[in-house]
Amino acid sequence: MRSSVSTCTQCGANVASAERFCENCGVALSAVRRVAVPRPAPRDDGAQCVDCGRGTYVDDYCTVCGDRRPDPDRDEDLLDAIVLITDRGIEHTRNEDAGAAGTVAREEGERPHAVAAVVCDGVSTSSEAQNASRSASVAAVEAMLQALAASRDVSSVMVAGLTEGAKAAAESTSPEGSSPASCTYTAAVVVPAAEGGAQIAVANVGDSRVYWIPEPPAQPIRLTVDDTVARQLISAGIPADSPAVLRGEHTLTRWFGRDADKETWDASNVSTMTTADRGVVVLCSDGLHNYLPEAADIAKFCNGITPQEAARALVDHALRAGGHDNITVIIVPIGGPP
Amino acid sequence: MSSVSQQQLCPVAVDVDHNPYLAEGAGTLDAIVSVAVAGDAAAGRPLERLEAIIIDCSTSMLSPAQKFDEAKRATKAAVKEIVDGTAFTIVAGTGKAVPVYPPDGRAIVATDATRAAAARAVDTLKPNGGTAMGTWLAHVRRLAAHHPGALTHAILLTDGKDEHESAEELGREIGLSEGEFTCDCRGVGTDWEVEELRAISSALLGSVDIVAEPSDLASDFAAMMRASMSKSIPDLALRLWIPAGARVVFVKQVAPTVEDLTHRRVEAGNQTADYPLGSWGAEERDYHVQVEVEPAAAGREKLAARLSVVAGDEVLGQGLVKAMWTTDTALSAQISRRVAHYTGQAELAQAVQDGLTARKNGDVATATAKLQRAMELAVESGNDGTAKLLRSVVDVDAGTGTARLRSAVAAADEMALDARSTRTARVRKEP
Repeated sequence: MRSSVSTCTQCGANVASAERFCENCGVALSAVRRVAVPRPAPRDDGAQCVDCGRGTYVDDYCTVCGDRRPDPDRDEDLLDAIVLITDRGIEHTRNEDAGAAGTVAREEGERPHAVAAVVCDGVSTSSEAQNASRSASVAAVEAMLQALAASRDVSSVMVAGLTEGAKAAAESTSPEGSSPASCTYTAAVVVPAAEGGAQIAVANVGDSRVYWIPEPPAQPIRLTVDDTVARQLISAGIPADSPAVLRGEHTLTRWFGRDADKETWDASNVSTMTTADRGVVVLCSDGLHNYLPEAADIAKFCNGITPQEAARALVDHALRAGGHDNITVIIVPIGGPP
Repeated sequence: MSSVSQQQLCPVAVDVDHNPYLAEGAGTLDAIVSVAVAGDAAAGRPLERLEAIIIDCSTSMLSPAQKFDEAKRATKAAVKEIVDGTAFTIVAGTGKAVPVYPPDGRAIVATDATRAAAARAVDTLKPNGGTAMGTWLAHVRRLAAHHPGALTHAILLTDGKDEHESAEELGREIGLSEGEFTCDCRGVGTDWEVEELRAISSALLGSVDIVAEPSDLASDFAAMMRASMSKSIPDLALRLWIPAGARVVFVKQVAPTVEDLTHRRVEAGNQTADYPLGSWGAEERDYHVQVEVEPAAAGREKLAARLSVVAGDEVLGQGLVKAMWTTDTALSAQISRRVAHYTGQAELAQAVQDGLTARKNGDVATATAKLQRAMELAVESGNDGTAKLLRSVVDVDAGTGTARLRSAVAAADEMALDARSTRTARVRKEP
C-alpha cells in the first residue's frame, strides 16, 4: 500500500511522483507516503483448511468442516521509524482492527515534517466490522495527509480525518443490512510546533486510545477519553469500581458507522499538546489497553528500545495475557533517535 | 464464483435472517430464508405447460341441485383462463378417471376452437359413480409422463370422501405423483375430509380449501388457473450444504403457508441435499431451516449452512448461515424477530389442527386449551384470517381470557378453519 502522491494538492492536476513542482500551477509538491495494516489476505486460493485438513476454502469457509479461514495471525509494517502491528489475538478468527499511517515531506526525499496515524477497532456486534475499520482508517489518513500537504492548520487536519473517516465507515456497508458495520476511531497527528519541539493533536470516537510516552523522567500520559458508558458514569460521579461502571467498560456511546449518531466535527473534537521532549506516541485498540490500562503500564515497554521492538513487546504481552481481542498498535517516534 | 452474473440472468434473491451468535456449548441455528423470484426471472424461456382439470362426477354431486351446474360452470371458467399453446385435458372423476375432453384422454393444445369444444363437452356431463381419487391422480401422472419437463398442474374438485379405494391405494398413488405435477384441491360442500385433500395438496405442493357455496366455485377456479398460468419456472429446489458432523433438524416452508419439507430431502452428495420447492412465478416464499452443528469454542466461526436455490444444477441464488460462538450472552440470547414469528405461526397451525381433532373426538378440555392457545397466537402475531375463523369455533372472553367451545358450529366454518390453518401472517424483514 505504499505510493507517492499522484495529484497536485493545490490544483488537483495529475503529476508524476518524480516532479518537484506541479507543471500545472507551479506549487512545490509534497511527498506523501502511507501504509495500512492488515494487508488483504488471499481468498479462494485452493489452500487446505487449517482446521480439518480435508477441505479447501470457498467464500472463506472450509468446504468440509465449515470453519472460517482464520485471518493471518499478524501483520506488521514500517514507514521509516513508525511501526504498525495488528494481531488477530487468540480468541477471534477475524481481525476487525485496522491501522493506517502516513507522512508528508516538503519535497521528495526530505525528512517528513508531519505524521498522521489512525487506529480503528471494528465493533463485533456488527456484520463485516472489518470493512468499516479498514475503510475508515485508510480514508481518514488520506484526508489528513492531503490537508497536511496543503499546509492547513492542525485542527482542520484532524476535522478532515474525522469527517472522511466517519463517511467511509458509514459507506462501508449497503443500506439493506440489519446490523451495519461500525468501528471506533482514534487519530493522532504530529507536526513541528511553532515555538520548537512538536505539536501532538488527537481525536477520538469510541474506546481506542492514544498515549504520549516521553523519555523519563517526563511522565507518560493518556491523551484520549473513552466514549463508554463507564466513562459517562464516572463523569456523573459514580465510583470507578462500582458494578455499573465495570459492566459499562466495553459499552460504546459513540462510534463510526451507518447507524452512528450524526455529528458535526469541529475543533472541539480535537485536543492538542506541545512538547520539547523526545518520546513515542502510542495508538492502540482495547485489545492492548485492556491489559495495560495506564500510561505508566505502556511506558514500561517503550523506554530504551526501538519503536519496532516496543510495539512487538506490547502486542506479545497482550497475547500472553490472553489475547481476548484483536490487538493493534501504532508507534510514532518524536524527536529522532537519542 | 460467478454468482453475480448468474443472478443477472435469472434474478432469484435469497435473503437469510438469523442470529449467528451462539453460546459456548450451543449448536442449534435457526434461519429464515426468503426466496424471491422477480417478475422477469424466466421471461422468454420456452416453457411447455400441461393443465388437468378433474371434476368429481360421483352421484352425490347431484344434490343439492345447483352443485353440479356450478361445478361445470367453474370448469368452463378455468378453461377460459388457459392461455394459447398450453396442453390441457379435462377428466371426470368417479371410481375411475374418465376422459371428458379431449375424448382420447390425452392433452390438446389450447386454442379458441379447443376451449369452445371443451366447454361443450363439459356441458354434457352427468354425475354417476363413486369416488377413487387415486385413480384420478394416476391418470394425470401418466399423462405428465408424456410431457417430460413440462410445468404440469392439476385442479381437483370433490364433494365427498375417497370411498371406493383403500387409504393405502390413495397413499401409494400420492407417493407416485410426488414431484411429477402440482395439484390444487378444492372441496365443495361439507361432506369431504380436509385431512384427505390436504394429504394430496401437501405432497403435490398445491393448495387446499373449502368452497362451501357452490356458486363461489367459478371465481375460485378461474383464480387458480390464472395463478398457475403465472408460474414460469417448472421446478426449483432448495439446496442445503452443511458441515461434516452437522444435521438438518427441519426445513419448513413458513409463508405463505406452513409446509414441512424435511422428509422431501433428496441426497445431492458432498454434504448437500435438495428440497424440492415446486413451480414458481413472480413470488416470495419464506422457509425456516434449523441446523444442528458441533459446538465450538468462543471466538470461533463456521459456516453452518450454505443455502442455494437451484434449477437442476444451475445455482440461481445463494445465502450463508454463519455461526459465531461468543461468551457474550447479550448476543447469543437474541432471537431473530422473524424466527420467533414463524415459530409461532407453525405452533399456531399445529394448535388449530390438534384442537379440532380433540374436538371431533369429544375431548373438550384439550380442544379448549389448544384452540385458546391458537387464538392467543393468532391475535399476537396479527394473523387476522385465522383469528376470525377461530372465533366461529371458540369463544374467548377478551377481558378474562376464559375460553369455551361454541356449542353450535357450522361444519363449513370448522372445515375452513382446518383447511386454512397453515396460512401464515407475513412478517417484514428486519429494517
